[in-house]
Amino acid sequence: MIDRRLFKIPGIMPRIVMIAFLTLIQAVMIVIQARALAIAVVQLWRLKPLTTIVTPTLVFAVSFLARHLLTVAQNRAFYPFVEKTSGKMRERLMTKLFRLGPSLVERTGTGNMVTMALEGIDKVQTYLMLIVIKIMDMGITPWVILLYIAFMQWKEAVFLLLIYPVIILFMIILGLAAKSKADRQYAGYQRLSNNFVDTLRGLGTLKQLGLSKRYAGNVYSVSEDYRKETMATLRIAMTSTFALDFFTTLSVAVVAVFLGFDLLAGKIMLLPALTILTLAPDYFLPVRNFANDYHATLNGKNALKAVLDVLETPETNNRKVLKQLTWHADSEIKFNDVAFTYEDVKTPTLTHISFAIHGFQKVGIIGASGSGKSTLINLIGGFLTPDQTGHISLNGQQLPHLSQEVWQRNSLYIPQSPYLFHATLRENVSFYKPNADEATVKAACDKAGLTDWIAELPQGLATMIGEGSRGVSGGQAQRIALARAFLDDSRKILLFDEPTAHLDIETEAALKQDMLPLMANRLVFFATHRLHWINQMDYVLVMDHGRLVEQGTPTELASHDGPYTKLRAEMGGLHALN
Amino acid sequence: MHSIRQTFAHDTWVMPYLRKYKWLLMLVLFLGTMTFLSAAALMFNSGYLISEAARRPDSIIYIYVPVVLARAFGIARPVFRYSERLTSHNWVLRIVSDFRKKLYQAVEVKASAIKQTHQTGDILSILANDIDHIENLYLRTVFPIVIGWLLYLFIIIGIGVFSWPTALLMALLLGVIVVVMPLLSVAVNGAREFKQKQIQSQFYTNLTDEVLGLTDWVISGRYADFMALQKKPIKRIATLRRQDHYFQWWRGFAVQGCFLLAVVTLLVWSGTAFTATKGMANWVAAFALALFPIIEPFLEISQGASEWPVYRQSIERVNALSNDQPKQTPQSTLTGPVTEINVDHVTFSYPDDDRLILKNVSLKIKQGEKIALLGPSGAGKSTLLKLLLGDQTPTKGTVTINGTPINELQQQRAQLFGVLDQQPYLFNTTVMNNVRLGNLQATDEQVKTAIEAVELKPLIDSLPAGYETEVQESGTRFSGGERQRLSLARILLQDAPIIILDEPTVSLDPITERHLLDTVFKVLHDKTIIWVTHHLAGVDHVDQVRFLENGVFDLQGTPQALYRDEPRFRKLYALDAGRND
Repeated sequence: MIDRRLFKIPGIMPRIVMIAFLTLIQAVMIVIQARALAIAVVQLWRLKPLTTIVTPTLVFAVSFLARHLLTVAQNRAFYPFVEKTSGKMRERLMTKLFRLGPSLVERTGTGNMVTMALEGIDKVQTYLMLIVIKIMDMGITPWVILLYIAFMQWKEAVFLLLIYPVIILFMIILGLAAKSKADRQYAGYQRLSNNFVDTLRGLGTLKQLGLSKRYAGNVYSVSEDYRKETMATLRIAMTSTFALDFFTTLSVAVVAVFLGFDLLAGKIMLLPALTILTLAPDYFLPVRNFANDYHATLNGKNALKAVLDVLETPETNNRKVLKQLTWHADSEIKFNDVAFTYEDVKTPTLTHISFAIHGFQKVGIIGASGSGKSTLINLIGGFLTPDQTGHISLNGQQLPHLSQEVWQRNSLYIPQSPYLFHATLRENVSFYKPNADEATVKAACDKAGLTDWIAELPQGLATMIGEGSRGVSGGQAQRIALARAFLDDSRKILLFDEPTAHLDIETEAALKQDMLPLMANRLVFFATHRLHWINQMDYVLVMDHGRLVEQGTPTELASHDGPYTKLRAEMGGLHALN
Repeated sequence: MHSIRQTFAHDTWVMPYLRKYKWLLMLVLFLGTMTFLSAAALMFNSGYLISEAARRPDSIIYIYVPVVLARAFGIARPVFRYSERLTSHNWVLRIVSDFRKKLYQAVEVKASAIKQTHQTGDILSILANDIDHIENLYLRTVFPIVIGWLLYLFIIIGIGVFSWPTALLMALLLGVIVVVMPLLSVAVNGAREFKQKQIQSQFYTNLTDEVLGLTDWVISGRYADFMALQKKPIKRIATLRRQDHYFQWWRGFAVQGCFLLAVVTLLVWSGTAFTATKGMANWVAAFALALFPIIEPFLEISQGASEWPVYRQSIERVNALSNDQPKQTPQSTLTGPVTEINVDHVTFSYPDDDRLILKNVSLKIKQGEKIALLGPSGAGKSTLLKLLLGDQTPTKGTVTINGTPINELQQQRAQLFGVLDQQPYLFNTTVMNNVRLGNLQATDEQVKTAIEAVELKPLIDSLPAGYETEVQESGTRFSGGERQRLSLARILLQDAPIIILDEPTVSLDPITERHLLDTVFKVLHDKTIIWVTHHLAGVDHVDQVRFLENGVFDLQGTPQALYRDEPRFRKLYALDAGRND
């Protein structure tokens, strides 16, 4: 129920003490309230005039209001702390995200990451709010009440004391029984709702197969099966609530009957009896409240765990080993027997990668799918770090990895589908240089071949693009990425990962003409299986099953019968049309 | 109130189901009311019991009935509550099954067989969430409010039996709790909730944007900008939420205050009304204690009411969906084999866009002919396919098969067309079942033959469970090429005369692509094929190539003739072969 890391949150202990103190006063108020009400009722019962109950009624009213005011006070006192803590946590999460980069997202999934930062933190907030206050309430209130009852009538106090662990025990037993089944059920629910969304997404296929109408019945029956299963679990899960409810309510009834018999026997007076009866429900209230919020608490606990786990992920160190860099015609990057293994995978994805590239060479990386082209590009871009440090060097300086801030500030990465931010076209183009002026942005767009398209747009450069806004075709998206690159002339290292594979051939041909000027005077790594690009490369790395099986200039490689010639024959095997 | 009436004006999602399951609904409300009445009765009875006992009557017989009743009420409350919760959940889940089916049917009519965009995917998740919201509407808003009101009615009538003025005063005091507070909550929280939703969705967009574009952020090194982007929405949400919480706490306190007044009123009233004799004075304690258990459901009313704005949006969204259904065209049946598909002078633009997607396009395809369609994205290829399938109707001109307009042949669609698209959907069931979807009557042998024809037999045989292997969610167990082959097997079983290939190889590498295309054209050699492709690999398989640009065909002919006569085509072909420089 409680994550121990909870107590390590800075500043939480004094708040807990304060809440405890407020809860204690509140418990006293509950007792006073019950006592005062009992006095008033007893006066009336004795047929005393109404004036005699003025004082007790006032005391009742004041303590009643004080009790509920204290609830507000607890919340008010604790909330700012919770808000600050969860706010900080969100900030730290975002910082972590920036530091760990795409590798974190790859591991957790985009959706999960966003949900964690949004709803996850909200749940943590609810959890923090609930857990401290409710636990304090459960830890203090019943015992103050019990102590007071014991003063008046030890027998009822003993009964109430004994029934308490029985309730908890039953809750635990039934809770555990239900939990294992409920967990499975919850997984089932997730599956069902995913399945439902997936079915909706697969609707196109169903329609193609002429099954879409008939499938409605299937949707219904799957849902109905699920209902029956759920009800079976709910019956057990609710039995635990039932047990709690049953014991607490019946306990109140039993106490009332006990008191009745004691009164009949003259062992107790009406006043203490009535006080005890009034207090009995309040004795059980904290545990019932706790049970009511059980699920919110559980969700919160899991959310807190997930967030803390991410926050505790180690970051890539030594990101500032490289002090400064300007890529020249005589600069050199060297890989010496570099290997890379993904987490949770036993065999390395890349092994024995060695090459030396210098100046403004254009390096093509080719290979069948799964050969490790993208992984290599990610290593060069510093989005992944190699298994061992010290196997990469820049201009003779040994580096642990290429996740160097300075290196990244000098490089540019263009993937198959460049991401377009939900922002104006101008903001998208000037992403690396947010302060670029209008004329420079326009010039960059022009070089990237965007001018005609921009003229067609309703608001020109100020048009909103990206998800949920104006659709941008794959070719235009590449051109926007090119414009980004043209705009930032200081970035001399270009990384391309299959930038044209999904484009139609004419768009690709046109785009190529605009891409070539960008590559001049830059170091280029270009992973592709579109072979025509090789004609523009100075050097080729041929990848196969995570190994660099051949390297050299295209002419060298084409001159003998090696992996390169074989791959070319396999990939470019278009039948002759003449 | 006005907004509520507006929401339900053309409602087909909430009210009909309330009517359909009205008896079960009554039962839920009855059980819910009885739960709290039992709790109140327990305290009422207990108060009387100990007051009577304190008079020390001569015989136990005087308190025998209250003793029995105490136990009865003590047991009744949890039993009622238990059955109420079971019944209400059962009721809601039953409705959800209906909802799912209804939502599916509403979406099904509009679904297109060609290229679903990402955005439609998101809309679908939103709709699926809406169903969950409506589920909560019942459990968290409708039931507590109705039960609360029923209790309110009982209390007023109960007291009214003894004294009308007191009943009136109580009606006023408790009325603040059950009517004024909820309305206030909707008014105050409604606006806030709406604002919060807006900011939240903006925050969500920003955040998703940041996560998806993280690579660029990292490379840009703009840490400060990255952090600043969500600062504002976070701060505004925090403020709104703080206000929301404060409002809730003080509202809770105000409810308790009203409640206190009601308790004191009852106490004073019973002090004046029941003090004629000692016997009557026993009722004082009963009345004083009875009200306490009612506070719990009363507190829930305001909370439930303040959640209404969230549900309202969902209800409006699903209603908008099902109230906007396309009209049906009378259907006819095609007998005899397909001899000709004719696209005759077709012009097309989407209803809310005056841009012409296709301009006076004509295309005749004979039985068994194979044509390839090329062109940049946005040129109208997908639209042309939708028109061929009858998902869209031409603005001008006709699309016919053997002379019958295609939109009159929709019932026969699956017998006429087989479609292989970019991302064929594999269902979360076995390989055997997935392939059999092409023809539900197919025997195991036929399914296996189809799988063998698409050259997947060795792979399936190598799997431990063979044909009974579960295709995991969205077919993640199989590679892109394998998934395409599985759906190709499905199409073989479907055995339709016309096959539409919608860029089936776009996400495959060239080697896989070539092998797949070879298989496709081998197994479908006797079919009519319309193939949308993004480049020229495999184009030698077709009889006719057409380039669609800006809504018109600009290049067309057999691949051989185009290669011979058109330098542009020759250049593209060389580029695709990797020969261009």
